[in-house]
This record gives sequence, C-alpha cells and structure tokens, in this order.
Amino acid sequence: MTSRYESAKNVFIDSVDIEDYIDLDSSVAAYEQLQHSLDKPLKMILLFGKPGTGKSILLNRIQEKLKHQKEIHYFDTPAVTEKEFFHKLFKVLTQKDLPINTEVNFSALVDFCKNLRGKREIIILLDEAQMYGPDMMEKIRLLSDSRAVKFVVSLHKTEDEDLIAKEHFQSRIWEVIELKNATKEDQTAYIHKKLLKKNLYEIANSIKAKDMKLIHRFTKGNYRECNKLLFTIFEICEYYDKNEPAKVNYTRIPSKIIEMSALKLGYIHV
Amino acid sequence: MYDIKPLENEWKKYRKKKLKPWIIASVSLIVLSVSGIFLLPKSKIDFSKFDNSFVIASNSTYTEDKKIENSNRKTKSNVLINDPLNKLEIEKSVTDQVNIAANDSSNAFVDIPILDGKQEKTVRYGQKGKAKVHLDIVDTTSVTAYKDVAKRFEKSHDIDDSLFLARSYYKKGNYKKSEYWALATNKVDSNIEESILIFVKSKTKLGRKNEAISILKSYLKKSNSQEARNLLHRIENNKL
Repeated sequence: MTSRYESAKNVFIDSVDIEDYIDLDSSVAAYEQLQHSLDKPLKMILLFGKPGTGKSILLNRIQEKLKHQKEIHYFDTPAVTEKEFFHKLFKVLTQKDLPINTEVNFSALVDFCKNLRGKREIIILLDEAQMYGPDMMEKIRLLSDSRAVKFVVSLHKTEDEDLIAKEHFQSRIWEVIELKNATKEDQTAYIHKKLLKKNLYEIANSIKAKDMKLIHRFTKGNYRECNKLLFTIFEICEYYDKNEPAKVNYTRIPSKIIEMSALKLGYIHV
Repeated sequence: MYDIKPLENEWKKYRKKKLKPWIIASVSLIVLSVSGIFLLPKSKIDFSKFDNSFVIASNSTYTEDKKIENSNRKTKSNVLINDPLNKLEIEKSVTDQVNIAANDSSNAFVDIPILDGKQEKTVRYGQKGKAKVHLDIVDTTSVTAYKDVAKRFEKSHDIDDSLFLARSYYKKGNYKKSEYWALATNKVDSNIEESILIFVKSKTKLGRKNEAISILKSYLKKSNSQEARNLLHRIENNKL
C-alpha cells in the first residue's frame, strides 16, 4: 500500500535539480542580480552564503537559462587535482580534448585566453570554490585578467572561506551577491510551491501557518535544513499512515510530528 | 523505517521539559494571587494612627449607666455577631471631642457620639478622669491588633475589648483563647449573655460538651434566654 505521504517525502529529497527550482521573491532577486552582473564587463563575481541557501541551484538555473545565449559552463565539484581542473578548462576553452599523455601549460593557456579577448566571452560557474587551494585561485585570477573568461565563484560563508575571499578576490571582485536564509513567508511559499508542483494540494494545505512558523524556527529558513525536516516529517507521517493510522490527522500535520522530526534531526534536545 | 517508539518517548520528555516553565509560572502566579488576597486587608490597617489617639478610661474613673450600656451592648452585639468585623478604626471627630472633654475639667458630663449614630451614651467623668472612647472594631486578622487590644484590656478592663477578643478568636477557631476571653468578660460583668454563650460554645468545641451543657443549664435557670435555649438544643443534638 502506498502512502500519500510517500510522494510528499520524495519532494523534499535534497538535490540540485533544476526541475525543482522554485521561484521565490528572494531567489528571483538573486537570479536577476546575477544575470545583470554577467552582462557587465566584470572579471569575477562572488556568490556567497551559508550552506543550503541555494547557491548551487542558482548557478544551475542561470546556466540552464543562458546556455543558448552565452558560452556558459558549470563546474559543479572542484577537481581533485590542479591537472584535472586545467584539463577540464582546456576542453571548455579550446572545445577540444587534451591529447593523451599531455599536460596543460598554464602560460600557454593564459596566452590563449588573451587571444580570445573580443572574440569570445566565456563564463565559468565555479561551485564550491572554497575547496580550491590558494595557488589554484591565483591561477583562476590570472585567467580572469585575460578578460576573455569570466568567473562566478560560489563560496560558503564561514570564517575560513571569508579569508579566502579576502586574500584572493577582494581586490578583483567587482560584484558580490550574498544569498541569505529564507524569511518565514518565503519558506512557506517554498514548501507550498514544491508540494503543489507535484499536485499534492491536500498535503500542502495540511501544513498550517502555525506549523510553518515552527518549521521556520527549527530550520532558521535554510532551504537544505527545510528539505531535511520536511522529508523527516513526511517519513514519520508515512510510518503512522501505514502502521498506526489513528495517529494521523490528514487535515493537519500535528506539531508533535514536527517536533519529533526536529528531535530526530537534532534541532532540539530533551 | 524509523524506530518510532524511542522517538515518541523522547518527544514526551521534550514536551514535559517545554511545559515545565509554564507550569511553574502558572503555579507561582496562583500562589502570588492567593497570598495577595490574604495579605491585602492587613496592609490597610495602620494601628499607629489610633494607638496614640484614643484615651482609655480605667474602671475607677468612669461610671456608666449600666442599663443604657447593656441595652447598647445588646443591640451592638447582634450587629457584631451577624456582621463579621473587618477592621479596627477610630473616628477622629469622636477622639477630638473626648480630648477636648478630658482637657476641660469643668465639664462634668460629656456626650460622646456613638458611631452607629442611633443611640447616645452618657459618660460621667471625675475631676481628673479620662474619657472613654468607643472603638468601632470591625475586624482584623493582624496578630498585633489582638495583642494591642489584650494589652489595653489589662489596663481598662473594658468588656468591649474582651468580648471582641472572645468573639474574634471563636470566629478564627482558636477556642482556647475565645474561652479565656469569654471568661475574662464574665469576670468583669457576669450579665453579658454573649460572653456566656461564647464560653459554652468554646467549651463544646474543645470537646467538653457535658461541662458546656451543665453551665448553660444553670444559666438558663436564671435567665430564660431563648438564644441560650436554642444553643443548648444545638449542643445536645451535636449541631454546633
């Protein structure tokens, strides 16, 4: 027997899926700001915010939207080695695979980029850039100086990562876009829109304003935490629905289940 | 699948912890409200006001017309029994009049208005006498108030005071003290029926029912009081 909560649970599996992108006031604003920045003759754009504020999905979204208009490439996970990164970059810039048993000469790559100025404009979206070492960041900066390659660097906002931002980008970054946790209203819209996208109207309606307030209090408006909490809530609902249906209120998600989920995820403690 | 039971137990603990401060706050609020209700009347009594303002007449300095006094007392007694006393207070104008009278030694007789305003009482003063002031004793729960009245009775032997104490202590359920003060009243004036009744009722409450009945019967032989008869009936039928 399939529970109605199973589909709801799957809506909140945390993934960077462009299909799951939800237009919210704050995310639309960030998207427009990023798009506007990309039109400017800037070398580097810094996109930063706490984990789970929607940086990756924003980069994916912009790549998806602009891929037919601009030469835009998304580098999701950082390359393990510098060599691997330049192989990847070489392929993007030259549109050719690197011959076997050859290595990228960085100076030659910089020269190649300089020659591209005015001919092509390449945008590289670097996600999780805090994982690149200082040497690599310095080389990225040199490549951006060619003005043929534009980098959007996405960083986590922590003390260490702020340091990286200061040391390597501060003087070179023309635009900074900060993503913040969602407001209660935005988070409510996010949850409702996600459920409605999958035609789960009744379940969306069963999460009342008071529950949304509680969810926002536990997750502090963080989208990733929100996904985790909602997934757990619907997982518990699914369990009750299948095993102890008397404990399920189909018209309203009981605050007991929200609190149980928060306990499970460690947002609150006994 | 979740092991849901431990999670439910954990939630129950969390719930208790969450509700604890609210329960404590509610209980504290109730306790504060209740204690506030009990403490409020006490704070309204300012004994210092009347302690210095009234003059107590001693037994030797005044002679009162007992008939008037007794009739007054009877009327007042009923009022006092039916309406519990609420505070101790003294009317300033009365005090003023008494003080004037006390200072003016040429005044042999002074009319002192009685607070109930219906009956007047004549008090005769000697050359160096002091005026007796009527206290409108309404009620008090303050221990110091009782002590003050007791102290005053020692000096004045005023049966108003002793009767007040007997009555109040009986009302409070302190039957030993009510018995004592009823007896004290009776020693000063054996004709005060109320003191005899309080004495008998106190004895009954203290478990000395036979003694109480015997006293009441001997009182009935000379007084033929309906109230005493009713009381006897109630004591005999254990309805007190």
